[in-house]
Amino acid sequence: MHKKLIIYFLFIALLALSFSGCTRQLLDNQLLFGIQAAQKDLWEEAIFRWKKVVLSNPKSAAAHNNLAVAYEKKGLWEEAKKEYETALELSPGNSHIKANYQNFKKNHESFKKEKKDEKN
Amino acid sequence: MNLSKKKKKMKKIKIALLLALLLSFSCASSDYWKLKIEVPERAVLNLDQFSEIVITNFLIKEERKDFDLNQELVDYFSFEIGQKFKGKISSKKISFEKEEPFKNEDFWKNLLPDLKEAIFITGSAQYTEEIRKAILEKKRARFEEPFVSERALAERRFYTLNLNLYIIDAKTGKALYERDFKESKGYENPKQRAPFAFFDLIQRVKSKFLRNILGETRIQERYLISD
Repeated sequence: MHKKLIIYFLFIALLALSFSGCTRQLLDNQLLFGIQAAQKDLWEEAIFRWKKVVLSNPKSAAAHNNLAVAYEKKGLWEEAKKEYETALELSPGNSHIKANYQNFKKNHESFKKEKKDEKN
Repeated sequence: MNLSKKKKKMKKIKIALLLALLLSFSCASSDYWKLKIEVPERAVLNLDQFSEIVITNFLIKEERKDFDLNQELVDYFSFEIGQKFKGKISSKKISFEKEEPFKNEDFWKNLLPDLKEAIFITGSAQYTEEIRKAILEKKRARFEEPFVSERALAERRFYTLNLNLYIIDAKTGKALYERDFKESKGYENPKQRAPFAFFDLIQRVKSKFLRNILGETRIQERYLISD
């Protein structure tokens, strides 16, 4: 009897977990739509979707990260930097955000170095 | 009988648990997409604010008989910048004797006073070649006897391009951009000709210089994430 109870409890817990995951994915639809748009090189559409996500959920590190990538693609450096920093504040351990930001910073530093070379 | 019923029930529970587990993984997993994107580079100078680029002749420090360095540079930059710049590109001959005029603002201001929103691309250049000799180990084919090294005198023909480039504002005479480029390459072929080597070297300058002034794009990897 005791064993049965544990099994039922496990089953219900797993179901609850799966439903919560699915609900979150439904909420992330805008985020995924934006990703699909970006994959088709429709960056304006992607920015529109991710901005919507940020408006409804300002704590979405993914939306901030994706927005940063889009801004970088469009050459909007300051906006990209701000979004990367927000994304990292919200999710400091995320390796993908970290990798993106490091590459962004590398570009930024090489730009500064070239400016310095030019002065010298 | 009772035992087989129990076994069947356990099997059903196991399948249900497995299904629930699969469902939870399919929905709750976090995803990322690796994308290769063309990231524009930051240009040191915004060329869009100018309507004309005047490419002057260059101060050639050491003339060569077999190669018109000045003409090659003017032609090369006119063509390459013309690919991206929307405004007018023209050329102007100036007789340089020293490097002095490059930093003389009045000289450039008065050169073409009617020009508005224009820049000069100018500078000095030197293109040299030399033969370097060294004793190098000869590469042996695999089927030959191993562990036997053979040394031989090898020759390399080296070409070096020194280019000091300036971008000068026609209105103020001020240098908006100044950079020295020194590119060198050695060739195994002792008969390597100057025009071919020049093309290799100027390509290297191009990748740096045009990236600086036109802010070209670079393909990089970025992650888009959904969780």
